[in-house]
Amino acid sequence: MAGCGLLGRLARRLWAAAPGRPLWAAASGSRGQLGFVVRHVNSATWWHEHLSEENVEFLKKITAEEYKAQTASKLCPLKDEPWPLNEWKPDSIRVGVVAVKLGMMPIWTKSGKKHAVTLLKVQDCHVLRYISKEESGGKISKLLVGGKNGSPFFKSEAAMEIFKEAGVPPKQKVTTFNVTDDAIIKPGTPLYAAHFRPGQFVDVTAKTIGKGFQGVMKRWGFKGQPASHGQTKTHRRPGAISTNKASKVYRGKKMPGKMGNIYRTSFGLKVWRINTKHDIIYVNGSVPGHTNCLVKVKDSKLPTYKDCNKNPPFPTFFADGDENLPEDLYDEEIFQFTDPSVTYA
Amino acid sequence: MAAACGRLWRPNAGVLGLAARPARCLSLSGCRISSDGKPAKFQPPPKPVIIDKQKQRDEKRFLSPEFIPPRGRIDPLKLFLERKDMIQRRKVFNIPEFYVGSILAVTTADPYANNKTNRFVGICIQRGGKGLGATFVLRNVIEGQGVEICYELYSPRIQAIEVLKLEKRLDDNLMYLRDALPEYSTFDMNMKPVSHLDHEEVPVNKLQVRMKPKPWSKRWERPKYNIKGIKFELPEAKMRAAQKWSQPWLEFDMMREYDTSKIEEKIWKESG
Repeated sequence: MAGCGLLGRLARRLWAAAPGRPLWAAASGSRGQLGFVVRHVNSATWWHEHLSEENVEFLKKITAEEYKAQTASKLCPLKDEPWPLNEWKPDSIRVGVVAVKLGMMPIWTKSGKKHAVTLLKVQDCHVLRYISKEESGGKISKLLVGGKNGSPFFKSEAAMEIFKEAGVPPKQKVTTFNVTDDAIIKPGTPLYAAHFRPGQFVDVTAKTIGKGFQGVMKRWGFKGQPASHGQTKTHRRPGAISTNKASKVYRGKKMPGKMGNIYRTSFGLKVWRINTKHDIIYVNGSVPGHTNCLVKVKDSKLPTYKDCNKNPPFPTFFADGDENLPEDLYDEEIFQFTDPSVTYA
Repeated sequence: MAAACGRLWRPNAGVLGLAARPARCLSLSGCRISSDGKPAKFQPPPKPVIIDKQKQRDEKRFLSPEFIPPRGRIDPLKLFLERKDMIQRRKVFNIPEFYVGSILAVTTADPYANNKTNRFVGICIQRGGKGLGATFVLRNVIEGQGVEICYELYSPRIQAIEVLKLEKRLDDNLMYLRDALPEYSTFDMNMKPVSHLDHEEVPVNKLQVRMKPKPWSKRWERPKYNIKGIKFELPEAKMRAAQKWSQPWLEFDMMREYDTSKIEEKIWKESG
């Protein structure tokens, strides 16, 4: 056998290299201890150390079922001792939602104009905790909201506590929303895309795509220097960073460094369409972050859009409320594909 | 592309780029006369046998290329939602089957035109985009001036898409017509549609165009573009020099393979 011969040759060579210490206890024929150490990145938790593979599989299955039952039991917050509901006032601030960015697509208005929209999916979004005004420092009360279910096996006990209290599965993303006292919601309440309505304006916050360490031309849009005309080793450099008289570099000077991977907010994006079945928000224009990243969506704080954001579902949209929504809610300007083509008469 | 070549017509096969024109063949037998010369008792003629040739082509269908998603980590739900809108638009508006190299006439709503509509005839030189944002580019030479218009396939401003001549060319992208002699991209604006039966295979026009003298917008002779529809009149040495950029190993790169047959099947199943 070719394999055997190869192994034998290897053994002989090893033997020659270290004649004093036999590597194999037995003679040829027994299997040598040649092997590779395989390192799994995901095998560092307590679960992997203490559980067999079958047990891990079983646990995964049973937790998934348990969480499904948990979310199902939370679907009717109005029936199970809801917190008092208040009327919407012009100065009330509602909670927002955590959504997944799905990608972009075009949308057309009835006048034939094309807009680019971003699809945001509100996935497993629950209110986790209410922090009262006193607890949060005396200015405004807060609501913790989590989105997109995650695995419990990679979270510490302390991190799981907040989810246990709310009685919901652990979330991949937890954010805080400042709310007024009339807009507080009981922890464990699910949030839906119908929390927002077409025609209103939202702010979307997310972590931008990381670009790594970049020079000033890409990071700050400096002009750089010409490619030719006697330039030596000076094409993309910042130039002077201060003056002779100042003799120091001012704080905040634009210099090369890490670019992206910071939180940014796009303000005043119009909601064109809502899909209530799949919980999709179609938001005008682009949104920070890469596809499939988790974003934070809330009512626009810009004073210009105050009039557009009047009378929203308050404090949020309840699936078991009296409101029966169609599958798709459109802004009145939007062209629907069931209509015939646009004409200019 | 090979998977998208086949076509068919089925009355309820969905609306994913199907041409809907029935073609039927009638076969009638003549009136019989008995052997003794006298005409026999009247017998009703046998019923005409209708042979629907389309049925023989049931296996092959045409799926418009924008239905095939790009490779990546896009959520299937997003693709599904987009597809739903596309199919909804196709139910209201007929988007015919066409290829790069087909001659089309597109009527669009135009607020600035006299009769508020605009009709343009040209050869489709490129199909781009996936999903709802799919586009196609029409090219024609009008009064000696080359004109290209990029249309959005699903834009509600498009009022009619008419296929004047359904055919394919040797290439999937005809951008080299910009550098070809203008006669190859000149088409009559009042062109009559050329009839094409549904059960026929889409003809491939094996025309090789002659180019203007260099410089061109791209070096079309390079193997990267893999152009078959140009009659190169370059010196032999130049053609050989262009082969310096060939990357013959790329066709064996398994990571670049993108088998769409399963995706197509799934889309057909979904649309019913």
